[in-house]
Amino acid sequence: MPSGARRFAGTTSRTRSRIRPNGLPWILPAFVFVVGFLYYAVGYTGYISTLDWDGLSPDAESVGLGNYREMLADPVFWTALRHTAVFWAVTFVGLTVLGFTLAAIMHSGVKFPTLHKVIIFTPTVLAPATMAPVFRLYFADDGMINDILRGVGLGGLARPWLADADTALPALMLITIWQWTGLWFILYYAAMTQIQPELLEAARLDRAGNLRALWYIVWPGCRGTTVALAMLSFIGTLKTFDIPHLVTDGGPHRATEFLGTYIYRVGIRQAHIGYAAALSVVLLVLAIVGAVVIGRTNRARAGA
Amino acid sequence: MPEVLEVRQRSSRIVLQVVLALLTVPFLLPLVEMVRGALSGIGFENFVVVWETGVIPTFFKNSILLSLGVIVLVYAGSMTAAFGFAKLRVFGKEVYFWMMLVALTLPEVVLLSPLFVTFIELELYNTLFAVILPLAALQLPFAVLLARNYVAGVPSDLMDASRIDGANLVQVFWYVIVPLTKPIASAIAVLTLINSWNSYLLPLVFLQDRSRQVVTLLPQFFIGEYTNDQTKILAAAVMAAIPTVLAYVGVQKHFERGLSAGALK
Repeated sequence: MPSGARRFAGTTSRTRSRIRPNGLPWILPAFVFVVGFLYYAVGYTGYISTLDWDGLSPDAESVGLGNYREMLADPVFWTALRHTAVFWAVTFVGLTVLGFTLAAIMHSGVKFPTLHKVIIFTPTVLAPATMAPVFRLYFADDGMINDILRGVGLGGLARPWLADADTALPALMLITIWQWTGLWFILYYAAMTQIQPELLEAARLDRAGNLRALWYIVWPGCRGTTVALAMLSFIGTLKTFDIPHLVTDGGPHRATEFLGTYIYRVGIRQAHIGYAAALSVVLLVLAIVGAVVIGRTNRARAGA
Repeated sequence: MPEVLEVRQRSSRIVLQVVLALLTVPFLLPLVEMVRGALSGIGFENFVVVWETGVIPTFFKNSILLSLGVIVLVYAGSMTAAFGFAKLRVFGKEVYFWMMLVALTLPEVVLLSPLFVTFIELELYNTLFAVILPLAALQLPFAVLLARNYVAGVPSDLMDASRIDGANLVQVFWYVIVPLTKPIASAIAVLTLINSWNSYLLPLVFLQDRSRQVVTLLPQFFIGEYTNDQTKILAAAVMAAIPTVLAYVGVQKHFERGLSAGALK
């Protein structure tokens, strides 16, 4: 075999694969950039989290784990965590039900599929920062939600949704569901094209109704997508910043405070960088642990 | 494939179509509200007033430069890495791969303090680089994941053949990989474009100078200019949103395929 004819990956032969060209130089640029940049920043954050520092003054005082102790005793930290958990549970269920339902309907020969797709997906491409002022108006006393409620005779329910501590968080959940249904829909739609036609046909022959076919064949067939979306939305919820920062600024009375908005408030606005860094470290650990746990649960269930 | 829901009767078909319409309409309402708000008061004049402040072109120009910078870095980094990961021999390959993928969990807000300190030291603070570099680093892992799956599907025979013809690795990459990966490349470009165009937190913190700010900071700029005039703020929001919507509708097919390509193997 001529020396130029070395085999690439995908070959089954071990002897051949050993003389494949070395790919290290090809992955190094991306690897060094990502790992160098991000791991440096994370490491630095870990270091800052042991300081009592405003980010500018030369005399940063080392406080060891002091910031972490302060965090455990900080009610706002726990409030933000609780909001994150509730927010994730509600938006994930909402998005999954809505995205799955829409995908199933669109796979059933309805008219104007592209029009509906574009309408449902457009919110996903719009910047939350651009839409934030719209939503402040949308949920306001004289906004569209209240106009509609009054129009259908439910004026008694009308209220300034974002100014009420009981309804501000649910309003943000609605915004999030509005924004991301498009992605859920597209991914479920794609997953449904992968379901084996024979399975569905067999179900039809057994005279299984649509709902039974959905529940016993289509839904399990989309499991991989559901798990990926659970992970994505978990990390996404932990990262939540733009919407609560711009629409409600964490209020009223911290009713919409998340870890992201709290870190920004403490670190950038109050220049308490050490404490913000400690919060950041916890946020990152939660994201990694959450992703691993969801991934594991999936594998365990798939094996059972 | 057969239809997921089997609806034979005409009446049931109509019901399904109506249900779909009812589920779709709520997605339009905020957009209707946006336009309604932007046109209230002095109507279309709101747009004229916003345009005449003269800042819109600057903000757009910066957003374009920012997105281009991120796309170039992400494209170059992800395609070369995908070639290495999918087709070449790398000792401990999966370790490198997972070290990159872990970065997918990294929230932007974690980067603020260290980058703030570092960028001031390197005199990058208040330049577009301060946003381009972290955005590219944050988006590369997912792009590498997408590209690796795709490159793995390119037949190795093609590469073997060009190697036999005496091509070196750079030529193989340039004449075989690059042309054959255009679909995933355009998906990566579109995803990266949307994420960079829509990024808010990093520009908010690292771009203080008005001449360097980007479109996601437009509403805030107008909140500063016209505290009580919501119509101007919404007119600015409409102007920021239009190019995004047009771009999406224009590449809708690519976009959908790209997203699905990442989800399905």
